[in-house]
Amino acid sequence: MSLEIQSLDVISVNIWQILISLVNLVLIFLILKKILYKPVRETLKQRQNAVDKIYDDANSARNAAMSEKAEYDEKLSHAHDEATEIVSSARERAQRVGDEIVNDANRRAAQLMKRADDEIAGQRKKAMNEIKDEISGLSVDIAEKVIGREINESDNKSLIDEFISGIGDDNG
Amino acid sequence: MNKTLKFRIVDIFYLFLIIAPLVAGMVIKVLTEPAAEGIKIAGANIFFTIPFFIQDIVITESQINSWLIIITILGICLYLTHGLKTVPGLKRQHLAEMAVEKVDALVLENMGEMFMGFSPFIAGIMILSALSSLSCLVGMYSPTSDINVTAGWAILVFILITHYKLKGGFGNYLKSFAEPVVILTPMNIISEIATPVSMAFRHYGNVLSGAVISALLGSFLGGLTKKLPGILGQIPFLRAGIPAVLSLYFDIFSGCMQAFIFAMLTMLYVSGGFPGEAYEKRMKRKIERAKKRAEAKARAAADKV
Repeated sequence: MSLEIQSLDVISVNIWQILISLVNLVLIFLILKKILYKPVRETLKQRQNAVDKIYDDANSARNAAMSEKAEYDEKLSHAHDEATEIVSSARERAQRVGDEIVNDANRRAAQLMKRADDEIAGQRKKAMNEIKDEISGLSVDIAEKVIGREINESDNKSLIDEFISGIGDDNG
Repeated sequence: MNKTLKFRIVDIFYLFLIIAPLVAGMVIKVLTEPAAEGIKIAGANIFFTIPFFIQDIVITESQINSWLIIITILGICLYLTHGLKTVPGLKRQHLAEMAVEKVDALVLENMGEMFMGFSPFIAGIMILSALSSLSCLVGMYSPTSDINVTAGWAILVFILITHYKLKGGFGNYLKSFAEPVVILTPMNIISEIATPVSMAFRHYGNVLSGAVISALLGSFLGGLTKKLPGILGQIPFLRAGIPAVLSLYFDIFSGCMQAFIFAMLTMLYVSGGFPGEAYEKRMKRKIERAKKRAEAKARAAADKV
Protein backbone atom coordinates (compact mmCIF):
# COMPACT_ATOMS: atom_id res chain seq x y z
CA MET A 1 0.00 0.00 0.00
CA SER A 2 1.41 3.31 -1.00
CA LEU A 3 -1.04 5.33 1.06
CA GLU A 4 0.44 8.60 2.12
CA ILE A 5 -0.36 8.57 5.82
CA GLN A 6 0.21 11.81 7.63
CA SER A 7 0.65 11.82 11.36
CA LEU A 8 0.14 14.42 14.01
CA ASP A 9 2.94 15.99 15.95
CA VAL A 10 3.57 14.52 19.36
CA ILE A 11 1.80 17.47 20.91
CA SER A 12 -0.96 18.92 18.80
CA VAL A 13 -4.13 20.28 20.22
CA ASN A 14 -7.36 20.00 18.31
CA ILE A 15 -10.62 21.18 19.86
CA TRP A 16 -12.73 18.65 18.00
CA GLN A 17 -10.55 15.79 19.06
CA ILE A 18 -10.88 16.97 22.66
CA LEU A 19 -14.65 17.20 22.24
CA ILE A 20 -14.83 13.74 20.69
CA SER A 21 -12.87 12.30 23.60
CA LEU A 22 -15.15 14.09 26.08
CA VAL A 23 -18.22 12.66 24.38
CA ASN A 24 -16.58 9.23 24.38
CA LEU A 25 -16.22 9.35 28.15
CA VAL A 26 -19.86 10.38 28.54
CA LEU A 27 -20.80 7.51 26.24
CA ILE A 28 -18.82 5.04 28.33
CA PHE A 29 -20.51 6.39 31.46
CA LEU A 30 -23.93 5.84 29.92
CA ILE A 31 -22.99 2.35 28.68
CA LEU A 32 -21.75 1.30 32.10
CA LYS A 33 -24.73 2.83 33.86
CA LYS A 34 -27.39 1.29 31.65
CA ILE A 35 -25.82 -2.01 30.71
CA LEU A 36 -23.66 -2.96 33.68
CA TYR A 37 -24.83 -1.09 36.77
CA LYS A 38 -28.57 -1.15 36.30
CA PRO A 39 -29.01 -4.92 35.86
CA VAL A 40 -26.41 -5.76 38.49
CA ARG A 41 -27.96 -3.39 41.03
CA GLU A 42 -31.40 -4.78 40.26
CA THR A 43 -30.16 -8.32 40.74
CA LEU A 44 -28.47 -7.42 44.01
CA LYS A 45 -31.62 -5.70 45.21
CA GLN A 46 -33.75 -8.70 44.28
CA ARG A 47 -31.36 -10.99 46.09
CA GLN A 48 -31.43 -8.71 49.12
CA ASN A 49 -35.22 -8.79 49.07
CA ALA A 50 -35.22 -12.57 48.77
CA VAL A 51 -32.78 -12.91 51.66
CA ASP A 52 -34.79 -10.47 53.75
CA LYS A 53 -37.92 -12.44 53.02
CA ILE A 54 -36.25 -15.69 54.05
CA TYR A 55 -35.06 -14.09 57.26
CA ASP A 56 -38.50 -12.70 57.96
CA ASP A 57 -40.05 -16.09 57.35
CA ALA A 58 -37.53 -17.77 59.63
CA ASN A 59 -38.13 -15.17 62.34
CA SER A 60 -41.88 -15.49 62.18
CA ALA A 61 -41.60 -19.28 62.17
CA ARG A 62 -39.36 -19.13 65.22
CA ASN A 63 -41.74 -16.76 66.98
CA ALA A 64 -44.64 -19.06 66.22
CA ALA A 65 -42.68 -22.02 67.52
CA MET A 66 -41.75 -20.12 70.67
CA SER A 67 -45.34 -19.13 71.39
CA GLU A 68 -46.48 -22.68 70.72
CA LYS A 69 -43.81 -23.97 73.07
CA ALA A 70 -44.93 -21.56 75.78
CA GLU A 71 -48.49 -22.74 75.26
CA TYR A 72 -47.40 -26.36 75.55
CA ASP A 73 -45.37 -25.60 78.65
CA GLU A 74 -48.38 -24.00 80.23
CA LYS A 75 -50.53 -26.93 79.24
CA LEU A 76 -47.97 -29.34 80.59
CA SER A 77 -47.80 -27.62 83.98
CA HIS A 78 -51.61 -27.58 84.01
CA ALA A 79 -51.60 -31.27 83.30
CA HIS A 80 -49.23 -31.84 86.20
CA ASP A 81 -51.53 -29.97 88.56
CA GLU A 82 -54.50 -31.82 87.21
CA ALA A 83 -52.78 -35.15 87.61
CA THR A 84 -51.87 -34.38 91.20
CA GLU A 85 -55.41 -33.33 91.89
CA ILE A 86 -56.81 -36.43 90.28
CA VAL A 87 -54.47 -38.66 92.22
CA SER A 88 -55.22 -36.94 95.53
CA SER A 89 -58.96 -37.02 94.95
CA ALA A 90 -58.77 -40.65 93.92
CA ARG A 91 -56.80 -41.45 97.02
CA GLU A 92 -59.32 -39.62 99.16
CA ARG A 93 -62.18 -41.45 97.58
CA ALA A 94 -60.41 -44.75 97.89
CA GLN A 95 -59.82 -43.99 101.54
CA ARG A 96 -63.43 -43.17 102.00
CA VAL A 97 -64.65 -46.21 100.16
CA GLY A 98 -62.22 -48.40 102.05
CA ASP A 99 -63.37 -46.97 105.37
CA GLU A 100 -66.94 -47.55 104.36
CA ILE A 101 -66.25 -51.12 103.40
CA VAL A 102 -64.44 -51.79 106.67
CA ASN A 103 -67.22 -50.17 108.70
CA ASP A 104 -69.80 -52.11 106.81
CA ALA A 105 -67.93 -55.33 107.38
CA ASN A 106 -67.57 -54.55 111.05
CA ARG A 107 -71.21 -53.79 111.38
CA ARG A 108 -72.18 -56.92 109.51
CA ALA A 109 -69.84 -58.99 111.60
CA ALA A 110 -71.34 -57.52 114.74
CA GLN A 111 -74.77 -58.29 113.44
CA LEU A 112 -73.79 -61.83 112.59
CA MET A 113 -72.28 -62.28 116.02
CA LYS A 114 -75.36 -60.96 117.66
CA ARG A 115 -77.60 -63.23 115.66
CA ALA A 116 -75.39 -66.18 116.43
CA ASP A 117 -75.49 -65.29 120.13
CA ASP A 118 -79.26 -64.99 119.96
CA GLU A 119 -79.54 -68.31 118.25
CA ILE A 120 -77.25 -69.87 120.76
CA ALA A 121 -79.31 -68.43 123.56
CA GLY A 122 -82.55 -69.66 121.94
CA GLN A 123 -81.12 -73.12 121.42
CA ARG A 124 -79.93 -73.21 124.94
CA LYS A 125 -83.29 -72.15 126.26
CA LYS A 126 -84.97 -74.74 124.12
CA ALA A 127 -82.55 -77.43 125.25
CA MET A 128 -83.12 -76.31 128.83
CA ASN A 129 -86.87 -76.63 128.40
CA GLU A 130 -86.52 -80.06 126.87
CA ILE A 131 -84.26 -81.10 129.67
CA LYS A 132 -86.73 -79.67 132.17
CA ASP A 133 -89.57 -81.57 130.55
CA GLU A 134 -87.57 -84.77 130.60
CA ILE A 135 -86.47 -84.26 134.14
CA SER A 136 -89.98 -83.51 135.26
CA GLY A 137 -91.24 -86.61 133.39
CA LEU A 138 -88.47 -88.68 134.96
CA SER A 139 -89.19 -87.29 138.39
CA VAL A 140 -92.85 -88.15 138.03
CA ASP A 141 -91.93 -91.65 136.92
CA ILE A 142 -89.48 -91.97 139.78
CA ALA A 143 -91.98 -90.63 142.27
CA GLU A 144 -94.64 -93.08 140.98
CA LYS A 145 -92.25 -95.92 141.42
CA VAL A 146 -91.24 -94.66 144.86
CA ILE A 147 -94.67 -93.94 146.14
CA GLY A 148 -96.30 -96.74 144.25
CA ARG A 149 -99.35 -95.03 143.54
CA GLU A 150 -100.96 -93.00 140.95
CA ILE A 151 -101.00 -89.43 141.73
CA ASN A 152 -102.46 -86.70 139.83
CA GLU A 153 -99.88 -86.45 137.23
CA SER A 154 -100.81 -82.99 136.05
CA ASP A 155 -100.63 -81.57 139.56
CA ASN A 156 -97.29 -83.10 140.16
CA LYS A 157 -95.99 -82.04 136.91
CA SER A 158 -96.79 -78.40 137.47
CA LEU A 159 -95.22 -78.72 140.90
CA ILE A 160 -92.02 -80.17 139.52
CA ASP A 161 -91.90 -77.70 136.65
CA GLU A 162 -91.99 -74.91 139.16
CA PHE A 163 -89.20 -76.49 141.04
CA ILE A 164 -87.00 -77.13 137.99
CA SER A 165 -87.56 -73.72 136.55
CA GLY A 166 -86.27 -72.46 139.84
CA ILE A 167 -83.11 -74.55 139.33
CA GLY A 168 -82.80 -73.54 135.68
CA ASP A 169 -83.09 -69.94 136.59
CA ASP A 170 -80.34 -70.34 139.06
CA ASN A 171 -78.19 -72.04 136.47
CA GLY A 172 -79.19 -69.89 133.53
CA MET B 1 -26.99 -23.91 34.78
CA ASN B 2 -27.89 -25.35 31.43
CA LYS B 3 -27.08 -23.01 28.60
CA THR B 4 -29.57 -23.07 25.80
CA LEU B 5 -28.46 -22.82 22.20
CA LYS B 6 -29.83 -19.29 21.96
CA PHE B 7 -27.89 -18.32 25.07
CA ARG B 8 -24.69 -19.70 23.57
CA ILE B 9 -25.20 -17.90 20.29
CA VAL B 10 -25.77 -14.58 22.05
CA ASP B 11 -22.67 -15.28 24.16
CA ILE B 12 -20.59 -15.87 21.08
CA PHE B 13 -21.90 -12.63 19.59
CA TYR B 14 -20.88 -10.71 22.72
CA LEU B 15 -17.45 -12.32 22.74
CA PHE B 16 -17.12 -11.36 19.09
CA LEU B 17 -18.06 -7.81 20.09
CA ILE B 18 -15.19 -7.86 22.60
CA ILE B 19 -12.52 -9.33 20.38
CA ALA B 20 -13.39 -8.01 16.92
CA PRO B 21 -12.56 -4.33 17.64
CA LEU B 22 -9.13 -5.30 18.94
CA VAL B 23 -8.46 -7.42 15.86
CA ALA B 24 -9.74 -4.59 13.67
CA GLY B 25 -7.41 -2.17 15.45
CA MET B 26 -4.46 -4.47 14.80
CA VAL B 27 -5.40 -4.87 11.14
CA ILE B 28 -5.81 -1.13 10.66
CA LYS B 29 -2.45 -0.52 12.27
CA VAL B 30 -0.71 -3.06 10.08
CA LEU B 31 -2.33 -1.72 6.89
CA THR B 32 -1.71 1.94 7.54
CA GLU B 33 1.61 2.04 9.32
CA PRO B 34 4.12 3.34 6.79
CA ALA B 35 7.25 1.25 6.66
CA ALA B 36 9.99 3.31 8.20
CA GLU B 37 13.60 2.86 8.98
CA GLY B 38 14.87 3.90 12.35
CA ILE B 39 12.92 5.51 15.09
CA LYS B 40 9.75 7.39 14.43
CA ILE B 41 8.32 9.25 17.33
CA ALA B 42 5.23 11.05 16.20
CA GLY B 43 1.60 11.49 17.10
CA ALA B 44 -1.31 9.46 15.83
CA ASN B 45 -1.75 8.74 12.14
CA ILE B 46 -4.40 10.87 10.51
CA PHE B 47 -7.13 9.05 8.62
CA PHE B 48 -9.50 11.81 7.57
CA THR B 49 -9.50 15.55 7.75
CA ILE B 50 -12.87 17.22 7.57
CA PRO B 51 -12.77 20.98 7.07
CA PHE B 52 -14.72 22.70 9.79
CA PHE B 53 -14.83 26.09 11.40
CA ILE B 54 -12.20 27.10 13.97
CA GLN B 55 -10.16 23.96 13.28
CA ASP B 56 -10.43 21.04 10.91
CA ILE B 57 -11.96 17.91 12.39
CA VAL B 58 -9.13 15.42 12.32
CA ILE B 59 -9.97 11.78 12.71
CA THR B 60 -6.85 9.96 13.77
CA GLU B 61 -5.89 6.64 15.23
CA SER B 62 -6.75 7.96 18.69
CA GLN B 63 -10.38 8.51 17.81
CA ILE B 64 -10.76 5.28 15.85
CA ASN B 65 -9.08 3.27 18.59
CA SER B 66 -11.21 4.97 21.25
CA TRP B 67 -14.33 3.96 19.42
CA LEU B 68 -13.07 0.42 18.98
CA ILE B 69 -12.34 0.27 22.70
CA ILE B 70 -15.80 1.61 23.49
CA ILE B 71 -17.27 -1.23 21.42
CA THR B 72 -15.08 -3.68 23.37
CA ILE B 73 -16.31 -2.26 26.67
CA LEU B 74 -19.88 -2.48 25.43
CA GLY B 75 -19.23 -6.14 24.61
CA ILE B 76 -17.70 -6.75 28.03
CA CYS B 77 -20.70 -5.18 29.78
CA LEU B 78 -23.18 -7.15 27.70
CA TYR B 79 -21.25 -10.37 28.25
CA LEU B 80 -20.95 -9.90 32.01
CA THR B 81 -24.60 -9.04 32.51
CA HIS B 82 -25.85 -11.78 30.20
CA GLY B 83 -27.83 -14.29 32.24
CA LEU B 84 -27.93 -12.45 35.55
CA LYS B 85 -29.96 -14.35 38.14
CA THR B 86 -31.00 -13.73 41.71
CA VAL B 87 -29.20 -16.93 42.57
CA PRO B 88 -25.94 -16.69 40.65
CA GLY B 89 -25.50 -19.45 38.11
CA LEU B 90 -22.56 -18.17 36.11
CA LYS B 91 -19.04 -17.21 37.12
CA ARG B 92 -19.25 -14.01 35.13
CA GLN B 93 -22.06 -12.81 37.37
CA HIS B 94 -19.71 -12.90 40.34
CA LEU B 95 -17.23 -10.87 38.32
CA ALA B 96 -19.86 -8.29 37.38
CA GLU B 97 -21.14 -8.02 40.94
CA MET B 98 -17.62 -7.83 42.31
CA ALA B 99 -16.70 -5.04 39.89
CA VAL B 100 -19.79 -3.03 40.73
CA GLU B 101 -19.40 -3.54 44.47
CA LYS B 102 -15.68 -2.73 44.47
CA VAL B 103 -16.18 0.52 42.58
CA ASP B 104 -19.17 1.36 44.78
CA ALA B 105 -17.05 0.81 47.88
CA LEU B 106 -14.25 2.95 46.45
CA VAL B 107 -16.64 5.79 45.61
CA LEU B 108 -18.33 5.54 49.00
CA GLU B 109 -14.99 5.67 50.75
CA ASN B 110 -13.61 8.61 48.79
CA MET B 111 -16.68 10.68 47.98
CA GLY B 112 -19.42 9.80 50.43
CA GLU B 113 -23.04 8.75 50.21
CA MET B 114 -24.17 11.78 48.21
CA PHE B 115 -21.93 11.00 45.23
CA MET B 116 -22.92 7.37 44.73
CA GLY B 117 -24.21 8.32 41.28
CA PHE B 118 -20.57 8.83 40.31
CA SER B 119 -19.86 5.13 40.58
CA PRO B 120 -20.49 4.31 36.88
CA PHE B 121 -18.54 7.40 35.85
CA ILE B 122 -15.53 6.41 37.93
CA ALA B 123 -15.74 2.86 36.63
CA GLY B 124 -15.97 4.30 33.11
CA ILE B 125 -12.85 6.42 33.57
CA MET B 126 -10.98 3.45 34.96
CA ILE B 127 -11.87 0.94 32.28
CA LEU B 128 -11.63 3.36 29.35
CA SER B 129 -8.28 4.67 30.49
CA ALA B 130 -6.90 1.26 31.35
CA LEU B 131 -8.02 -0.38 28.12
CA SER B 132 -6.80 2.60 26.09
CA SER B 133 -3.37 2.32 27.67
CA LEU B 134 -3.32 -1.47 27.39
CA SER B 135 -4.40 -1.42 23.75
CA CYS B 136 -0.74 -0.87 22.81
CA LEU B 137 -0.20 -4.50 23.87
CA VAL B 138 -1.97 -5.65 20.70
CA GLY B 139 -0.04 -3.13 18.63
CA MET B 140 -2.66 -0.41 18.53
CA TYR B 141 -1.81 3.20 19.10
CA SER B 142 -2.80 4.04 22.68
CA PRO B 143 -5.42 6.77 22.60
CA THR B 144 -4.16 7.92 25.98
CA SER B 145 -0.80 8.86 24.47
CA ASP B 146 -2.66 11.58 22.59
CA ILE B 147 -2.99 14.79 24.62
CA ASN B 148 -6.39 15.54 23.08
CA VAL B 149 -7.95 12.41 24.53
CA THR B 150 -6.82 12.92 28.10
CA ALA B 151 -7.55 16.64 27.78
CA GLY B 152 -11.13 15.82 26.86
CA TRP B 153 -11.53 13.68 29.97
CA ALA B 154 -9.84 16.27 32.17
CA ILE B 155 -12.14 18.99 30.83
CA LEU B 156 -15.17 16.84 31.58
CA VAL B 157 -13.87 16.33 35.11
CA PHE B 158 -13.25 20.08 35.38
CA ILE B 159 -16.84 20.75 34.31
CA LEU B 160 -18.04 18.33 37.01
CA ILE B 161 -15.82 19.95 39.65
CA THR B 162 -17.13 23.40 38.77
CA HIS B 163 -20.72 22.16 38.62
CA TYR B 164 -20.49 20.79 42.15
CA LYS B 165 -18.68 23.90 43.40
CA LEU B 166 -21.47 26.05 42.01
CA LYS B 167 -24.01 24.07 44.05
CA GLY B 168 -22.96 26.18 47.03
CA GLY B 169 -24.12 29.30 45.19
CA PHE B 170 -22.34 31.49 42.65
CA GLY B 171 -21.26 34.06 45.27
CA ASN B 172 -19.80 31.29 47.37
CA TYR B 173 -17.92 30.02 44.34
CA LEU B 174 -16.40 33.44 43.60
CA LYS B 175 -15.58 33.98 47.26
CA SER B 176 -13.70 30.67 47.43
CA PHE B 177 -11.07 32.14 45.10
CA ALA B 178 -10.25 34.91 47.57
CA GLU B 179 -9.49 32.55 50.39
CA PRO B 180 -7.71 32.49 52.71
CA VAL B 181 -6.54 36.02 51.78
CA VAL B 182 -7.46 38.22 48.85
CA ILE B 183 -3.90 38.48 47.60
CA LEU B 184 -3.87 34.79 46.78
CA THR B 185 -6.69 35.15 44.23
CA PRO B 186 -4.44 34.84 41.14
CA MET B 187 -2.80 31.79 42.65
CA ASN B 188 -6.17 30.22 43.32
CA ILE B 189 -7.29 30.86 39.75
CA ILE B 190 -4.08 29.33 38.41
CA SER B 191 -4.43 26.28 40.65
CA GLU B 192 -8.04 25.89 39.54
CA ILE B 193 -6.98 25.85 35.90
CA ALA B 194 -3.96 23.72 36.70
CA THR B 195 -6.17 20.92 37.95
CA PRO B 196 -7.43 19.72 34.55
CA VAL B 197 -4.19 20.61 32.81
CA SER B 198 -2.11 18.58 35.25
CA MET B 199 -4.53 15.67 35.06
CA ALA B 200 -4.41 15.63 31.28
CA PHE B 201 -0.65 16.01 31.03
CA ARG B 202 0.12 13.52 33.77
CA HIS B 203 -1.83 10.75 32.11
CA TYR B 204 -0.75 11.57 28.57
CA GLY B 205 2.89 12.05 29.56
CA ASN B 206 3.14 8.77 31.40
CA VAL B 207 1.73 6.71 28.57
CA LEU B 208 3.61 8.55 25.82
CA SER B 209 6.92 8.41 27.67
CA GLY B 210 6.49 4.68 28.09
CA ALA B 211 5.88 4.31 24.36
CA VAL B 212 8.87 6.53 23.53
CA ILE B 213 11.20 4.64 25.84
CA SER B 214 9.99 1.32 24.42
CA ALA B 215 10.62 2.57 20.88
CA LEU B 216 14.06 3.87 21.81
CA LEU B 217 15.05 0.66 23.54
CA GLY B 218 13.74 -1.47 20.69
CA SER B 219 15.67 0.56 18.16
CA PHE B 220 18.78 0.48 20.33
CA LEU B 221 18.66 -3.29 20.72
CA GLY B 222 17.99 -3.69 16.99
CA GLY B 223 21.01 -1.57 16.21
CA LEU B 224 23.08 -3.49 18.73
CA THR B 225 22.41 -6.83 17.05
CA LYS B 226 23.43 -5.42 13.68
CA LYS B 227 26.89 -4.81 15.07
CA LEU B 228 27.30 -8.50 15.90
CA PRO B 229 29.41 -10.52 13.44
CA GLY B 230 28.09 -13.05 10.93
CA ILE B 231 24.63 -14.53 11.05
CA LEU B 232 24.07 -13.21 14.55
CA GLY B 233 23.83 -9.72 13.09
CA GLN B 234 21.15 -10.73 10.61
CA ILE B 235 18.43 -11.45 13.14
CA PRO B 236 17.65 -8.76 15.71
CA PHE B 237 17.19 -11.39 18.42
CA LEU B 238 18.05 -8.99 21.26
CA ARG B 239 14.82 -7.16 20.54
CA ALA B 240 12.86 -10.29 21.37
CA GLY B 241 12.78 -10.49 25.15
CA ILE B 242 14.28 -7.50 26.83
CA PRO B 243 11.73 -4.83 25.81
CA ALA B 244 9.01 -7.07 27.24
CA VAL B 245 10.33 -6.43 30.74
CA LEU B 246 10.10 -2.70 30.27
CA SER B 247 6.72 -3.12 28.61
CA LEU B 248 5.54 -4.86 31.77
CA TYR B 249 6.19 -1.66 33.67
CA PHE B 250 5.43 1.04 31.10
CA ASP B 251 2.46 -0.52 29.37
CA ILE B 252 0.75 -2.69 31.96
CA PHE B 253 1.67 -1.27 35.36
CA SER B 254 1.84 2.37 34.33
CA GLY B 255 -1.30 2.10 32.23
CA CYS B 256 -3.36 0.63 35.08
CA MET B 257 -1.75 2.97 37.59
CA GLN B 258 -2.58 6.06 35.58
CA ALA B 259 -6.15 4.90 35.12
CA PHE B 260 -6.47 4.45 38.89
CA ILE B 261 -4.78 7.81 39.57
CA PHE B 262 -7.06 9.61 37.12
CA ALA B 263 -10.12 8.05 38.78
CA MET B 264 -8.86 8.81 42.29
CA LEU B 265 -8.10 12.44 41.40
CA THR B 266 -11.54 12.81 39.85
CA MET B 267 -13.17 11.54 43.03
CA LEU B 268 -11.03 13.68 45.31
CA TYR B 269 -11.40 16.88 43.29
CA VAL B 270 -15.16 16.56 42.82
CA SER B 271 -15.98 15.65 46.41
CA GLY B 272 -13.24 17.89 47.84
CA GLY B 273 -14.39 20.96 45.94
CA PHE B 274 -18.02 20.44 46.92
CA PRO B 275 -18.96 23.03 49.55
CA GLY B 276 -21.16 20.86 51.76
CA GLU B 277 -22.08 23.41 54.42
CA ALA B 278 -22.83 26.20 51.97
CA TYR B 279 -24.93 23.79 49.92
CA GLU B 280 -26.96 22.78 52.96
CA LYS B 281 -27.50 26.40 53.98
CA ARG B 282 -28.59 27.26 50.47
CA MET B 283 -30.98 24.32 50.36
CA LYS B 284 -32.49 25.35 53.69
CA ARG B 285 -32.93 28.91 52.49
CA LYS B 286 -34.49 27.65 49.29
CA ILE B 287 -36.97 25.50 51.21
CA GLU B 288 -37.87 28.39 53.50
CA ARG B 289 -38.34 30.71 50.57
CA ALA B 290 -40.56 28.16 48.85
CA LYS B 291 -42.58 27.82 52.07
CA LYS B 292 -42.98 31.59 52.36
CA ARG B 293 -44.02 31.85 48.77
CA ALA B 294 -46.59 29.11 49.24
CA GLU B 295 -47.92 30.85 52.35
CA ALA B 296 -48.15 34.17 50.52
CA LYS B 297 -49.96 32.49 47.69
CA ALA B 298 -52.39 30.85 50.11
CA ARG B 299 -52.99 34.19 51.82
CA ALA B 300 -53.59 35.92 48.51
CA ALA B 301 -56.05 33.23 47.55
CA ALA B 302 -57.81 33.62 50.91
CA ASP B 303 -57.99 37.44 50.43
CA LYS B 304 -59.53 36.98 47.05
CA VAL B 305 -62.20 34.71 48.45
